Amino acid sequence: MTAAQDGWQRVHPASPFIRGWVALAAMSVFFGRDAFERLLQGRPVVDDRFAGRAPWLLLGGGAVLLLTVAGFVLTWYFTRYRVADGYVRVNTGFLFKQQRQARLDRVQAIDVVQPLLARIFGLAELRFEVADAGQSAVHLAYLPVEEARRLRAAILASAAGGPAATPAPPVPGSDQPGPDQPGPGVPVHAAAGPLRAPVEAPERGLLSVPPARLVGSLVLSEQSVVIVLGAAASVLLSALTENRGFFFYLIPAGLGMAAAYWNSFTKGYNFTAAASRDGLRLRYGLLDTQAQTLPPGRIQALRISQPPLWRIFGWYRMQVNVAGYGTGGGNADGAARTTLLPVGTLADVFTMLAAVLPDPGTPDPVRVFTAGLTGLASGPGGPPGAAAADDGGFVTTPRRARLLAPLGWRRNGFTATDTALLIRSGRWWRHLVLVPHQRTQSLALQQGPIARRFRVADLVLHTTAGPVAPRLVQAGLDEGRALLDAQAARARSARKRQTSEHWLAPASRQPASPHPEPQEGPQYG
Amino acid sequence: MRTEAIDPPGVAWLRVSPRYVTVRVAGWALGNVVAVAVLSVPLLLVLNGVWSWPPLWAAAALPAAALLVALWRLVLIPRQVRAIGYAEREDDLLIRRGIFFQRVLVVPYGRMQYVDIGAGPVERGLGLCTLKLHTASAGTGAEIPGLPAGEGARLREQLSARGEARLAGL
Repeated sequence: MTAAQDGWQRVHPASPFIRGWVALAAMSVFFGRDAFERLLQGRPVVDDRFAGRAPWLLLGGGAVLLLTVAGFVLTWYFTRYRVADGYVRVNTGFLFKQQRQARLDRVQAIDVVQPLLARIFGLAELRFEVADAGQSAVHLAYLPVEEARRLRAAILASAAGGPAATPAPPVPGSDQPGPDQPGPGVPVHAAAGPLRAPVEAPERGLLSVPPARLVGSLVLSEQSVVIVLGAAASVLLSALTENRGFFFYLIPAGLGMAAAYWNSFTKGYNFTAAASRDGLRLRYGLLDTQAQTLPPGRIQALRISQPPLWRIFGWYRMQVNVAGYGTGGGNADGAARTTLLPVGTLADVFTMLAAVLPDPGTPDPVRVFTAGLTGLASGPGGPPGAAAADDGGFVTTPRRARLLAPLGWRRNGFTATDTALLIRSGRWWRHLVLVPHQRTQSLALQQGPIARRFRVADLVLHTTAGPVAPRLVQAGLDEGRALLDAQAARARSARKRQTSEHWLAPASRQPASPHPEPQEGPQYG
Repeated sequence: MRTEAIDPPGVAWLRVSPRYVTVRVAGWALGNVVAVAVLSVPLLLVLNGVWSWPPLWAAAALPAAALLVALWRLVLIPRQVRAIGYAEREDDLLIRRGIFFQRVLVVPYGRMQYVDIGAGPVERGLGLCTLKLHTASAGTGAEIPGLPAGEGARLREQLSARGEARLAGL
């Protein structure tokens, strides 16, 4: 299918049409609808006024179509890619040439995306993310699914830097104690290319989200509350003003809401997570499916949150900042990519935490994280310093500042383990933000005039763009100051420990963490 | 109100050049003269009888209030400039600013992606420059304005060298 010369390859020949199907469909609808309506009405296919010019019009339309198709084909012909020597290179364009190369060990994430149409044809798009928070550094659309998976495995194997010399390493499963179940979408690479046939790292299923829970989570989500309130308000308004017209204004709003629900549903449908040597694998999607691979240590910040109504079932949501994903631009696709867990129980949360933070840096992670999720400092009766013992070590807003946050002051707090800083907040909307020490970019202590009255300050941690913005609100000034210093020191020492981007390369790098994780979740649940 | 600095204790801050006040005043003038002029238009129209509404006192109060706020901010500028400080520690750079709204920023050298030096027309005339540090986070916003050009160049070289030595990935 692809003419390989010097390792340069082309994407699948059908891909221009799949990418451009919207344009083609729009054109055919534009030209076809009118004619179809005429046929139904028994009129001549071509309007009498245009009848004389019909051949010209047809010719023009055909020329436009032909040019479009030619453009697609040329684009396809001049798009070539190669993965070799530690780089992925893509050449595109025939008028304006672009040659792009990205270092494989700078990979932040690899996604294999299958829109519905591509899925029908057995094709997939490969997105290679480096840290530029914008559009994908490299995206190859479309490759046969097999090829996309093979390429992903090759990139990961090369980026991991471990067994670089051996082309097809039978992966020593030393760090993979779990059963080598090749998940639902992982084929055996018998037909893969002879040159480099890296086997995908075996993976261990972590969790999946049942559809019923997903639906339940949507019903109980924040937007449902907004909808109920909005509906009540509009009913009230129309009753008071006796204006039936109100409901018509609600139709577009309702459609928008339905679309939002639908998006969340399709994006979260069939969500499964698996851990492998090459990082976390997330798969999800109803019509368009997506498979993300997050190599180890690529998560810059993580947030676990719980809207008030989810408390009934004890559900949580997890979102992450990954350097390549950016903020997601506010669309459903981006939001889905930065979601680590759309909805899950506490046990699921601990399973995921264990996967993304193998070394929690504390002897009793369950207690600390549980305190971070649901904990509350001891009430007004207790002495101010006594909270530390039963609250997972969280340091909360001092009592003197309780007027600033009457509800949240016992909740807003932080604690630091050896590997990460935990910031919790919110009495109703519970949040727990987690920033690994070695991912802290910079930090700032901020204080406004009112906060100064109460001798409190905010500590802001800067991470890469994403949905998580770590901010410790209203910490005591002395605690905040101490934390600023301590955090800078911790970040420094953590960075000294990890210097390599190759997660397999120095096997002796950090043997101090003997993978205590798999027991963690089940222990709790 | 008692002003207690939120800085970590025991840091020897380097201050920016006092000439930077001039830069800030120039910026202040540019912004506020235009604002006050625009807000004075109703007053002029009312005085000339073109507008019958709003009443004269309201039309006069608007630019007067704007002028008052502007003057207040002008008075603050020297103090604000004196509040800007930076300190090179062994492994990170500290930048502080503000009196009412204080902020102390810590940027580890190993996190710096690149360093910018820029100078606007007024700054250039005074031989000053602004140093900007960029990390992988857009929120860092590390900026030291009002550095003498020589000090800016020295700091840039110093930061680049230290960043190189302590370079970490993301």
